[in-house]
Amino acid sequence: MVVGRVSLVIGCVMVGFYSAAFGLGGSLFTSIGTVILPIFAVSGGLGGAMVFTNDRSKGVLEYLVAYGLSPRRILLNVLIAGLVQVTIVLAVGVSAGITTYLLSGNVLTPALPEALLAYTFPMSYATVTLMTTVGVFWTSLSSPRAGMNSPLGVLPMLGVIPTAVGLVVALAIPSHAVQIVLGDELVVVLALVSLLARTDRLMPPDRLLSPA
Amino acid sequence: MTAGPKLEIGLPALPEGTASLTCRSVQSGYQNKPVLHDVSFTVDTPSVYVVLGPNGAGKTTLFRTIAGILRPTYGEVLIDGVPIGQQASRDRLHYLTHVDGMPDGLTVREGLDFYAQVERATRSDVERVLDQLEIREFSDNFISKLSAGQRKRVAIARIFLREREIYLLDEPTANLDPKVAREIRTLILNLSKDRIVLYSSHNLFEAREIGRYVIALKGGSLTLFDKMENVRAAHYIVGVRTLEPTTALDGWERSGDYYLREFSGPEQVPTLIRDLESRGVKLREVREMENPLEDLFT
Repeated sequence: MVVGRVSLVIGCVMVGFYSAAFGLGGSLFTSIGTVILPIFAVSGGLGGAMVFTNDRSKGVLEYLVAYGLSPRRILLNVLIAGLVQVTIVLAVGVSAGITTYLLSGNVLTPALPEALLAYTFPMSYATVTLMTTVGVFWTSLSSPRAGMNSPLGVLPMLGVIPTAVGLVVALAIPSHAVQIVLGDELVVVLALVSLLARTDRLMPPDRLLSPA
Repeated sequence: MTAGPKLEIGLPALPEGTASLTCRSVQSGYQNKPVLHDVSFTVDTPSVYVVLGPNGAGKTTLFRTIAGILRPTYGEVLIDGVPIGQQASRDRLHYLTHVDGMPDGLTVREGLDFYAQVERATRSDVERVLDQLEIREFSDNFISKLSAGQRKRVAIARIFLREREIYLLDEPTANLDPKVAREIRTLILNLSKDRIVLYSSHNLFEAREIGRYVIALKGGSLTLFDKMENVRAAHYIVGVRTLEPTTALDGWERSGDYYLREFSGPEQVPTLIRDLESRGVKLREVREMENPLEDLFT
């Protein structure tokens, strides 16, 4: 729980700072700023996977399974925790960006809500859900360990890569930027659905037990 | 803290014979690697059933299977005839895992509140166990900051949030100082007056002290299920300590302060004591030197 709170605070501070900076840059916020926001959402949304890993090693999950909670329900709760954190991070980021954007004399145009609704929000939720799902499955299938070899060590990279790739490709081919980022988003969603469909196989109850 | 947990834990008495736990030909394990083989027994009398066996014998696997965490690959676990897979059966037992199962990042009170929600218990139940287990004084401390004994006490408080008929306690006194271990043994004995308690331990003296029945496992198979009093050592050796040196025990083997001799069984001890006293031996202590439970580990 503590690690989750730390992750959320770091995410909020980072997203608040960078969004405010992009907002000062005027149109930068409506273009690159909205595309980069999902990267910060990832750092803030790590908490769910972190708590899951910690709870597993402490035997909390073993107790919950004994009580009758299914692995699916545990996964759902972990995902909800991650998504709540992302919502907070996005709220901080968008508020900071829009505030500085308006304070620097810019006028809101339809391009901003369109970018947020079409890309920033869905991509943020999708990447964090994908990252958390991979982290939960990976943790379930592996022995408890810490550091870069653990799921937690590589999860941020996993969460950032889809957004970063989409961003780089879109910048390289600006004429098709919208199609590229939306396609990127679709790939993430499909990967996520594909993984969730395998929950029972990748997250059996006996993999949630504390180390003997 | 000046005293241990109260002897009465405040749960209403259950009528005798309320629950029965049956393991029928249970085979169970992890990722298709069987650990338990054809384990069958039924417990239907409130008491302490000590589950014993060497490391890797399958004690924790047995508890996890009874608790419904591991599904038997063959056979079944029933509570009053209802499979453990059904929530109605799960709701009739508590499982204290060998790790305490308390979330580190919460305070004691937050942790118990969390489990109260899971258990559908109330805030007043949390307040009750804070007093009964005498953990209120550190209820606002983070669980991660507690000592091993305090953590265990909080974990045990969790299983008293709601009453159950069957308690599975996996090494509840492991790594605890003698005082806390004694308090927990008292709790277990009190609990077993009208509830079924399956309890595992590596402490054979403790097991012999509080266990009324023995369930012994070896290599994943059930090797013994009997009353504790029927478990006999292969060699029944009595040790005698005297207040003063004596020649009456010349010829007995010596081990430190003890004079040792093998007898056929405990029924010979009263005769031995009368005989020694009639010969003027001033007895300080007469004790069994072998714990019969040790034989279950060989």
